[in-house]
Amino acid sequence: MTNPVKVIQIFIRKRNVLFMQIALEQLTKTYKEKRGLLPMDLAVEEGELIALIGHNGAGKSTLLKLLAGWLIPDKGQVLVDGINLKNRLAVVRKIGFVPETPNLFDFFTVGYNLRLFARLFHIPLQRIEEILQAFNLLAFRNNKVQDLSKGLKQRVSIGRTLLADPPVLLFDEPTSGIDFEMTKEIYRLLTEFHRSGKTIIFTSHRPEEIKTLATRIIVLHQGDMVFNGSPQMYFQSEIHEKLYL
Amino acid sequence: MIQNILILTLNDLAVSFKNKSIFLILFIPFFVYVSLLLVDEAGVDIQKTRIGLIQSAPYAPVMLAAVQSADTLFTVLRVPDEAEGKKRLKEKKIDGLLLPPEKEKMGLVLVVVQKESILSLSIVQGFLALQKAVQGHDINWISDIHQLQEGGIQQQTLPTWILMLALLVSFIILPAQIAEEKEKKILLALLQTPMREIEWLTAKLFLGMILIFIAVLFLHLMGGFDFGNALTYFAFIGVGSFCFSSYGIFLGFLCRNQASARTLGVIFYLPHLLPSALSDFSQKLSAVAPFVPSYPFFESVKSILLVHTGTTTGMFWAWIYLFFVGSTTFFLAYRLMKKRWLM
Repeated sequence: MTNPVKVIQIFIRKRNVLFMQIALEQLTKTYKEKRGLLPMDLAVEEGELIALIGHNGAGKSTLLKLLAGWLIPDKGQVLVDGINLKNRLAVVRKIGFVPETPNLFDFFTVGYNLRLFARLFHIPLQRIEEILQAFNLLAFRNNKVQDLSKGLKQRVSIGRTLLADPPVLLFDEPTSGIDFEMTKEIYRLLTEFHRSGKTIIFTSHRPEEIKTLATRIIVLHQGDMVFNGSPQMYFQSEIHEKLYL
Repeated sequence: MIQNILILTLNDLAVSFKNKSIFLILFIPFFVYVSLLLVDEAGVDIQKTRIGLIQSAPYAPVMLAAVQSADTLFTVLRVPDEAEGKKRLKEKKIDGLLLPPEKEKMGLVLVVVQKESILSLSIVQGFLALQKAVQGHDINWISDIHQLQEGGIQQQTLPTWILMLALLVSFIILPAQIAEEKEKKILLALLQTPMREIEWLTAKLFLGMILIFIAVLFLHLMGGFDFGNALTYFAFIGVGSFCFSSYGIFLGFLCRNQASARTLGVIFYLPHLLPSALSDFSQKLSAVAPFVPSYPFFESVKSILLVHTGTTTGMFWAWIYLFFVGSTTFFLAYRLMKKRWLM
């Protein structure tokens, strides 16, 4: 006879997989000499805006790179809409990753970079015009990427990621190395993407900046998740004081 | 000021250690030393050479007896006629073919693949020594030497240039380009599109093959060299470019950045180029050269362009060997890409 407890457990598990957009199960990554990410379980619901914070080497970038498929985990798995991330081609349109340093073909123009990726995604070239317009890049379409400022390169990089309009966006230190105005612009974009229903996970060194931005804060410390909750809870907790004050 | 120069010099040395450029300084003298060890020294024992004799031809009995008794110098093989002898010479089953004198009081005609080679020299030297021992000073047994290879020195060096071009594209250009895409994380960006790993690898393979084909065609057009047996020739350029491009892609995956890729490229480039290109000048090198994949490619291209050989059994196996090396390295590169090796 079937064990009813087991049936309920399976149901709950399936239900979680169905309703959670991203599910991490014992996800682990270790490097040669240091810990990257200790076994981690995490569930992300559709439409969340999550800030990953922590000091250098805490495992923030490792986590994002694992979610983006840049790194192969040692153990565990990531499910996106119930599909294992190992099945790269099935999830590639679901996740967009904007790395800290824009990885574009520097010696080609902005337009060429966007066209190349649009072709690989098999999306109409009309979408490039929309992206150029949305990110105020029309004036730079014929400029070589290597001639652009870091902020502009970051905009091109975000624009390229949005070509395929993925429902999940990952940003690694989106405001690193850019000026105050551009930082404000990036946060405005994040808010806009969130309002349009996208799920966003981004990393930051500066918790004060994301006080009003994130719907959830996850704190990583030495590869371990030490906090997972709302911004209000975070700023009332001792974690913030211990890590940043 | 001096302190700063010292600090910066030490830093530059540290950088060259880090990006492995320093290995070139260690590797090149080491490789030259090993090559010099393999180059035949003066007075080195000449290895046995295989001499073909026409079965029913009227050779001088003294010469026949001398050649057959000198079994430490020569291995005598009988061939039915001149055509068969030349065929075996092209297939490298014999090293030289002795044709009977065309007119009375004339010496024998020695047919070799290439006049200016260590093999031709050793045959002539061996015959001279034998003659001196048997007859003292008399008319030379060998009065003329013919070679199968055609063309002047430009044509003769063509296979070496072709090998050099193929290796340059494969071991210097391709690994550096792949390492650059890895270093700048562009490859990872491409992997976030619906592109398959195999598609990216195939594109890189085509790039290498196209560059090699263009370089070879350009060389032929500029020099006005003919293609020999065009079909066989292009089949070999095709499989050679496949083999070395795959090899180069694999090397690119072993490196994290461009500087390492260039160093590794040169480290692989020289041992593939020199033993093959110099094998005609040294018996020791010609014994070592077959162990590197460039040798079957070089020898086949040389046969097609200079001896105008069509397809032979040896060339068939060379083709299979190159295809096997290319497929293996391509598969290894695929595995490394799947593992996101050094990305």
